[in-house]
Amino acid sequence: MAKQKKKKKPVDFLIFISVVTLVFIGIIMVYSASWPEGMVRFEDGSHYARRHIQWAVVGLLGMVLTMNIDYRFWKRISLPIYITAIVLGLLIFTPLGMELKGARRWIDLGFTTFMPSDAIKLGSIVFFAAFLDNKKERIRRIGQGAIPAFILIGVSAGLVYLQRDLSTTATVAGTLFAMFFVAGMWLPVLGVIIAGVGIFARYAIFSEGNEYRQRRVFSFMDPFADKLGDGWQIVQSLYAMGSGGLLGVGLGQSRQKFFYIPEAYNDFIFSIIGEELGLVGSMFVLLLYAMIIWRGYTVALHAKDAFGCYLATGITSLLAIQSFINIAVVTSSMPVTGITLPLISYGGTSLVIYLAGMGILLNISRVSTGDRRKTDENNS
Amino acid sequence: MHEINKSTKKRLRFAILVVTLIVFFLGYRLVRVQVIEGAEYKRGAMQQWTKAINLKSDRGIIYDRKGRKLAVNVTSFTVWASPSDVDNPEEAAMRLQPILKVDSSEILESLRRDSPVVKLKQWITREEAEMVRELGIGGISIVDDNKRYYPFGNFASYILGFTDIDNNGLYGIERVYDQYLSGVPGIWVKATDRDNRQLPYGSERIHNPEDGTSVVLTIDEIIQGFAEEAAQEALEKNQAKSVSIIVMDPATGEVLAMANKPDYDPNNPRMALDEDLNNQWQSLPFEDQQQKWFEMWRNYAINDIYEPGSTFKIVTAAAALEEGSANLDSHYYCNGFIRDIPGVVLRCSSWYDPHQDQDFSTAFSNSCNVAFVNMARELGTEKMYEYIKAFGFGEVTGIDLLGEQRGIIPSGTESIREVNLATLSYGHGIAVTPIQMVNAISVIGSGGNLMTPHIVKGLADSDGNIVDLFEPEIRRQVISEATANELLDMLELTVLEGTGRRAYVPGYRIGGKTGTAQKIIDGRYVDGKYISSFGGLAPVDDPRLAVLVIVDEPKGIYYGGTVAGPPAASVIEKTLNYLEVPRKYTDEELEATKETVLVPDVRNISINRAGKELTDLELKYTTEYEDFNTDTLVLDQYPSPGVEVSKGSIIDLYLEDGRSNPVLTNEDNDTSN
Repeated sequence: MAKQKKKKKPVDFLIFISVVTLVFIGIIMVYSASWPEGMVRFEDGSHYARRHIQWAVVGLLGMVLTMNIDYRFWKRISLPIYITAIVLGLLIFTPLGMELKGARRWIDLGFTTFMPSDAIKLGSIVFFAAFLDNKKERIRRIGQGAIPAFILIGVSAGLVYLQRDLSTTATVAGTLFAMFFVAGMWLPVLGVIIAGVGIFARYAIFSEGNEYRQRRVFSFMDPFADKLGDGWQIVQSLYAMGSGGLLGVGLGQSRQKFFYIPEAYNDFIFSIIGEELGLVGSMFVLLLYAMIIWRGYTVALHAKDAFGCYLATGITSLLAIQSFINIAVVTSSMPVTGITLPLISYGGTSLVIYLAGMGILLNISRVSTGDRRKTDENNS
Repeated sequence: MHEINKSTKKRLRFAILVVTLIVFFLGYRLVRVQVIEGAEYKRGAMQQWTKAINLKSDRGIIYDRKGRKLAVNVTSFTVWASPSDVDNPEEAAMRLQPILKVDSSEILESLRRDSPVVKLKQWITREEAEMVRELGIGGISIVDDNKRYYPFGNFASYILGFTDIDNNGLYGIERVYDQYLSGVPGIWVKATDRDNRQLPYGSERIHNPEDGTSVVLTIDEIIQGFAEEAAQEALEKNQAKSVSIIVMDPATGEVLAMANKPDYDPNNPRMALDEDLNNQWQSLPFEDQQQKWFEMWRNYAINDIYEPGSTFKIVTAAAALEEGSANLDSHYYCNGFIRDIPGVVLRCSSWYDPHQDQDFSTAFSNSCNVAFVNMARELGTEKMYEYIKAFGFGEVTGIDLLGEQRGIIPSGTESIREVNLATLSYGHGIAVTPIQMVNAISVIGSGGNLMTPHIVKGLADSDGNIVDLFEPEIRRQVISEATANELLDMLELTVLEGTGRRAYVPGYRIGGKTGTAQKIIDGRYVDGKYISSFGGLAPVDDPRLAVLVIVDEPKGIYYGGTVAGPPAASVIEKTLNYLEVPRKYTDEELEATKETVLVPDVRNISINRAGKELTDLELKYTTEYEDFNTDTLVLDQYPSPGVEVSKGSIIDLYLEDGRSNPVLTNEDNDTSN
C-alpha cells in the first residue's frame, strides 16, 4: 500500500501546474487590470500588483505547506477550525468589522484586512467532510442525516448571508450540498432542496429592501435597456469581451479597464482577460479551471478514504461553483452578482485560502490511488 | 476509516458530467460573446471610448477697403455641464445662478437633462468665467469660444449682416461669403477613459481647423460714415419712414457706402435700437416678433422697390440722344399738359407756369414731363423698352448681397400702351430697386458702361492683405461716351439751375436729378405718401461718385430736391473732400459769394408771385412738384425775411397744405381747373 512507502507519492501534476499557471496569470492580469486605478489613486501602476504578489507568495508557500500536511490532520481539528471560522464571521459585527462600499464583509486586523467569508468557506468544507465521514451510512436517513446536514449548511450559509453576500452564500451552500449529494444524500431530499432554494431565492430577490437584486436579475435579461444604470457592468463586460475578439487586443492594451469596468482587477477580471488575450486566452483559463475540477473530482474518486473523498469533493466544488458563476456573470449568462474569480482576482484572503485548499486537495492526491491507468481496476 | 462506496463514485462521475456540460456551455458563451457577437460589442465599446471634439475655426475678418476692421472675433466663454457628473444639481444651480444671471430653475432643468453635455450659457465675460471656475463645481466646465463682434455697432449693418450663436452667417456679407469666412472646422478624435482622460494609447486623429478667409469690402468706412450720418439726419429732419443712401464708384461698380436708416446693431440683431419699440416687441408673440426682426433686417437698398419718378428721365434722355431721335438742338414745347391720349390728361409739374419752348438741356433741367413724353414718342416703344432693359432694369444687378429684387418693368413692348410709354418717360409705372437706379446713373459716369455693382473687393489673409482680387466687371456698353458726356452736362445744369439746386455745392461740379413719386402700396397709389429721391454724379468732369439718396415717406415737404438733395450734397461734399478732390470755383461762384441780397418776405402771397419775386433777386427757391396751383399761398419761408444771403441761395418755401392731385388717376381734377 502507498501509505507504507517511506517516499511520498507525488502530487497530482495537472492540478499543481494548472493552479500555479492560474496564479501567474492572475498576477499578470491583476497588474494589467489595476494599472489605471493604481495610477489615478496612488500614482503607482503596480500598487495593486505588488500587494497581490505578496499574497501569492504567502499563498503558494501555504499551498506547499498544506500539500505536505496529511489531510487526515484536518479531520482531527475540524471542530476548532469550524468554530474559529464562525467566530471570525461574527467578528464582522464587532468594532473590528469594516464596511467597504456599503457591505460589511471585512475584518480589520490592523496590518491587513481579512475577509471571513473565505475562511468560512474552507472551514465549513473541512467540518462538513468530517461530519459526513462520521455519519457514514446514516447520512441517507432523514433524522440523523439530512436534518443535521441542513442545520450545518444553514449555519454556514446563514453566516455569510448575514454579510449581505448572496453570491458567496449560494457558493457555500452549493458546495456543501454538492458534498452532501456525493456522500449519499437520499435523493428525494433533492426535491426539498430545490423547493427550499426556490423559496429562498424568492425571498432574497423579491422581498422589500432587496430591490437592487431584482433590478440585477432583470438587467441580465436585457443589459442594454439600461446600459448607463443597472446594465452598466454587464454591458461594459460584454464590450470588453467583444473588443478582444479571437486573439485579443494584446496584453496590457485593454481600454475597458480604464474605469469603464469598475475595479477591473476584481470581479470582472475575466472580461479584461477576454479583452487583452481574446477568446484564446479566456478559453485557456476556462480550460485550466476545467482541468483542476476534473482532476479534483478524480482525486475524490480515488481518495484513500471517505473523508479525503468528501474533502476533495468540497474543495473542488467550491472552486467549480465560484469560477463558473464568475465566468457566467461576465459572459452575461446569468444575473450579475459580485463574486471574485478564484486564484486570479485581486484579494489576499481569497487567494491564500484557495491556495491552502488547493494544497489540501494536492495532499489528498498524494495518498489517493490517483494514477488512474493502474489503479482504477485494482480498486474497483 | 471507511471506504468510498459505489453510490459516491457514481455521484462523483455524475458531478464530472455536470461540470463538463457547464464547461461546454461556458465555452459556447465565450465563443458567442467574443466572436459571434463580438463585432457588435466592439462597435459599442469604440463609440464610448472615442470622443470627437470639434475644433472651431476662426472666422475671417471683414475689412473695409482701407483695411479697417468692420467685423472681428473676440474670445468669449461658454459654460457647459455634463449632468451625470454634477453631484448636487440643486446646489450647483443655486451657486451658478447669481453669476450666470439665468433662472436657477432653468439651470436645474438643464442639469437634469439626460444628455452627456448641456450648454448652460454662451458668451459670458472673462470675469464671470473666472468666478464660475472658482466655484469648482464638478461637471461644470468653461470653454473658450469665439464670438463675432462688430466694433462700430450699428454701422453698415445691412452690408455686414450678422451671424448666429454658432458663428454661421445669417445675413449680409456674413451670409453671402459665409463659405469663405467660416473656414473648415477641425475635429479631434481621441480615445478616453470613463472620466474623459485621454487613454495612453489608441487611435488619436486631429484634423486641424482651417481658419476662414477674410473679406475686404469695397466700402470705405469714412464714406460709409458720411452716408450714415446724412441718412440719419435726413431721417430725423423729415420724420421719414426710412432713408437709403448708396455711394458708388461709377468707373468700377464698387459700392463705397450703403446706408439705411433706421438700422440695427449686428452685435444684437434681435433688439431694436429704439428702446420703446423694443419694449413693444417684447410683449408680442414670438412669431410676430420674428416678423418684426425680418422687417428690420431688410436691406431696402436692394430688397425693396420703388417708383423712381423723374430720376428715370436720365434713361429716357440717354436713349433719345444715343438713338439720335433727339439731339441737343431739339426743341420741345410745353403748354403744361399732354391731352392727346384718349381718356387721360397728363400734366407737367409746372403746368401752372408752362415751360413753353425749351431746348433739350433746358427741358432736362426743368424736368419737363411734356418734353419727355414727346421725347419718348419720338424714340418709339421698341427703343424705349430696349434701353430700359439695357440700363439694367427688370433684372438683378448681380451685387453680392442677398435677396436682390428684379423690380417691375413691362413684360414686353406689346404691353406698353400709349399712356404707358408716356408715363414711363418720366419714371412712372415702373418699379426699381435703389441699387438698380444708382447703377443706371453710374452708366452716365462711367462713359456709358453698365457695371456689375459689387461690395467685396477681394479675399484676404488674416492680416488683411488681399490674396484674391475681384476685378470690376463690365456688363455691357449701354450708351456712347459722347452721349454720357452730354448727359453729364445736363445733370450739372439741373443742379445749377434746375430742380436739383439743393444739391449744389460751391466748388464741386455736381450733376444730378431729383425724383418724387407717390408710393404704391398693394398696386395703388397712396395719397400723401411719397418717395423722394436724388441721384447724382460728381465731379461731372471726371465722375468719381454716383450717389443715390432715397427718402421714404417724408413728412411735410416731399420734393425730391428739397428732401433728398441736401443729404446728397453733404455726402458728395464730404466724400470729395476726403478723396482730396480739389474744389474749383467758377468766376460766377466767386462773384456770387461776394454779392448778397436781403431775403424778401414772400409769405402769404401766391406761389406764382413769390417765385417771380425771388427770381428777380437772383435767388432760387424750391418748387418742384405739382401739388399746388398758382394761387397756393406760401405759409412760411426759410431763411426768414431780412436775412442777408448770397445771390443764388435757395429759399425754402412752405406752402399751404395742398390737396393732392395724383398724376395718373384723377382726370376730373385736371380737367376742371
